[in-house]
Amino acid sequence: MTTPRPAGAGAPPGGPARILPGAGRAARLAARRLGLLVALLAAVFAAVELLPGDAAGATAERGESAAGVAARRAALGLDRPLAQRFWDWMTGLPAGDLGTTARGQHVTDVLAGPFPNTLLLGVLALALSTTGALALGGWAVLRPGGRVDRVIEAVATVAFALPEFVVSVALLLLLSQWTGWLPAVTLTGADGAPESWDMLVLPLLALAIPQIGWNTRIVRGALADQAGLPHVQASVLDGLPRRRILVHHMLPGAMPAVATGIATSAGMLLGGAVVVETLFNYPGVGAVLAGAIADRDTPLVAGVVMAAGTAVSLLLLLADLIRTITLGERR
Amino acid sequence: MGVTRRQLLWAGTGIGAAGVLAACSSGSGDSKDAAPSGAAAQQPRVGGTLKVGALGKASAITRDPHGTQANESDYLIISLLYDTLAVPGATSNTVSRLAASWKPSDDLKTWRFTLADGAKFHDGTPVTADDVVWSLQRLRNTPAGKSRLPGIQPEGITAEDAKTVVLVSDYPNADLPLLTRLTTFVLKKGTTDDALAGAPGTGPFKLDWYRDGNARLVRNDDWYGGKVLLDAVEVRLFESPQAMANALLAGQIDVASNVGAVAARTAETHKDVQILRRPNDMAMPIVMRTADGPFADPRVREALKSAVDRDAMVKQVLSGYGTVGNDILGTGDPALAKDIPQRTRDLAKAKQLLADAGFDTSKTYDLLTTEDIAGLAESATLFATQVREAGVKINVVKQDSKVFWDESWLKAPLYTTYWGTNDSVVFFASKTMLSDSGQNEAAFKEPTFDEAYRAAMGTADAAERAKLLHRLQEIEFTKSGYLLWGMADGIDLAGAAVRDLPKLPGYGRVQLEKTWLAR
Repeated sequence: MTTPRPAGAGAPPGGPARILPGAGRAARLAARRLGLLVALLAAVFAAVELLPGDAAGATAERGESAAGVAARRAALGLDRPLAQRFWDWMTGLPAGDLGTTARGQHVTDVLAGPFPNTLLLGVLALALSTTGALALGGWAVLRPGGRVDRVIEAVATVAFALPEFVVSVALLLLLSQWTGWLPAVTLTGADGAPESWDMLVLPLLALAIPQIGWNTRIVRGALADQAGLPHVQASVLDGLPRRRILVHHMLPGAMPAVATGIATSAGMLLGGAVVVETLFNYPGVGAVLAGAIADRDTPLVAGVVMAAGTAVSLLLLLADLIRTITLGERR
Repeated sequence: MGVTRRQLLWAGTGIGAAGVLAACSSGSGDSKDAAPSGAAAQQPRVGGTLKVGALGKASAITRDPHGTQANESDYLIISLLYDTLAVPGATSNTVSRLAASWKPSDDLKTWRFTLADGAKFHDGTPVTADDVVWSLQRLRNTPAGKSRLPGIQPEGITAEDAKTVVLVSDYPNADLPLLTRLTTFVLKKGTTDDALAGAPGTGPFKLDWYRDGNARLVRNDDWYGGKVLLDAVEVRLFESPQAMANALLAGQIDVASNVGAVAARTAETHKDVQILRRPNDMAMPIVMRTADGPFADPRVREALKSAVDRDAMVKQVLSGYGTVGNDILGTGDPALAKDIPQRTRDLAKAKQLLADAGFDTSKTYDLLTTEDIAGLAESATLFATQVREAGVKINVVKQDSKVFWDESWLKAPLYTTYWGTNDSVVFFASKTMLSDSGQNEAAFKEPTFDEAYRAAMGTADAAERAKLLHRLQEIEFTKSGYLLWGMADGIDLAGAAVRDLPKLPGYGRVQLEKTWLAR
């Protein structure tokens, strides 16, 4: 097997032949993800269509006449076939046009503030859950079956099993209402971002804690698998310090599994964001999505899915790369 | 307190309006009463920034003063920036704002509105009748424009001179100024849709910044309407009432606007939080179809009106944050017929009426509802339990909001509805009970009612009109398809330093120019 290379890092077309198979694989992978995204967006259009009512009716004012609603239905293009609406929306994408919402605003404008906020929270939560899981999983595996291991195992299981809203409410009571240490909700300033950094802490913890639970178990399992391998056993017999063995001999081998776990987390974080954003009034894309579904606002729903889908796809691609790189190094 | 209120309502003509008002505002209804002791003696002072939380959805944000404002946060921002011709008042339904005065022609069809002296846009240019005409025509030409300015054609809106706007109605309308209270926001003539975000208003506050439904507004020192007290108002959008209440309890905002009864219950234990009640804020009546079906017989409708336990409804559905209703809509109206005796629970009478009408008690009847607002579905469930004691079997069906408004509203024999936008008897009569009204929820066709309405609207003399309006309400009380068991209070939470928040129901809550901070 040839050494796969990261996409984009390959040589230009016509470069050394040795690189091409890897680049081709990366391109195929990217194409498959793109295809998946298109299928997902088509499904979104179909799903919103299947919900009772439509955007013209959902955003109508009480007292708006049937003729008025019909006129707006036509103005929104809702009287055209679904396939045609989907095609029109898709063909606008290359130009960066995500369409117009049922209330007549550009989808890109509606998402311009909330999406970066969600991305910020998501990336921070992912970083926190990764470091947290690596630290706890590593600590647990130092003495397999020991007290620390058993406690971490139990706590991680509980943390993952708890729904986000339970974690959120507990954090809110503990860190805001009873102690007054942190602000209860996020308020938005003139730039569309949270007014102060400490407002990020509660939503961040609420999102990260269940994922730390999930990833700790994966990290611990992957590290335990490594512990039985000959080169690790050899380093133990050599009398190397435990931490050094963990970081230099076990962790690299565990990375592919860990990367996959983290990529899975990315999807779950986005799901949890809807709940957490509402509870902490975090100005993210989750709230926009919930409202857009209620309004049957297909372009807006698709816009959110498009943005989130692209972000998750990029993360999955990154996880793939980590796998290929680490596996490549080990072969 | 519930008992006191009920007794006062029963007391009838004697204490009348004053009694009801006192009952509603005892406890914490009045912002001054609710303030910490000694605060009532304080003089209003200038300065400070008020942070207000208001409900809204990030997906439904709008900047258009004449568009559909689904978000309270948007409506609040727009109302602080732009002025309407008139606003709701405490002793009169309609009080002046950008229109300083108005005068009808003898036939009550042509109304002349004179603009307030010194009214200027935020950029310094004076407000002219042309601006107002242009704005009203823009409003009239929106999809819901016809129901916002009923009876007024676009060409019936003209300028007589720089200060005078003329509105011509298709029919005599003694209460036409009432129509100018809600969304008649005035923009500069010719403002294009893409310039709305920065369009200057005439209101008590000017825009500092706006972002994603949140805004900061600063005092307009040049406001024609008088001295504005606050330096600035900051509006923050909240998706959930619970998060908004948490923000208030944590001191992150000063006011949680229209936060609801659940949050009020949470806040009851916090001493430094004011719970402010705006009575007559929201009607959520049960509608019985009068044209046909099982409730077409007026005796059946009266039976259900007699079978409901109104006190229990207010206590349980509204957590006590409300007042008992008497099946007449428009309870905040000074013209409400308070001398009509309050209906109370009488199961024997209900059973007798059902028997007289030959009502089929072996059947189960569907009561359709939705969970659009807190308490609505709960009201249906409790009602079903109560009328079972009179022998009427009701099955509550909760529908998805869209399905409910498309398929059940205006059509079903029995359903719940709600109105939070207006409070006058005439508003409900014209919108929901005239034979040809577009939103005739109970399919109510009663010639005597129509006659009383037309006569009242065609009568200029106030005393004579009041008599006719009373007649109208008697008919509504005996025959209409509305079972109005109670009115929900609007509930705001406020920090200890907030003074003189608006107390009027519905959209009366958005006028913050007299609000001040004691800190």
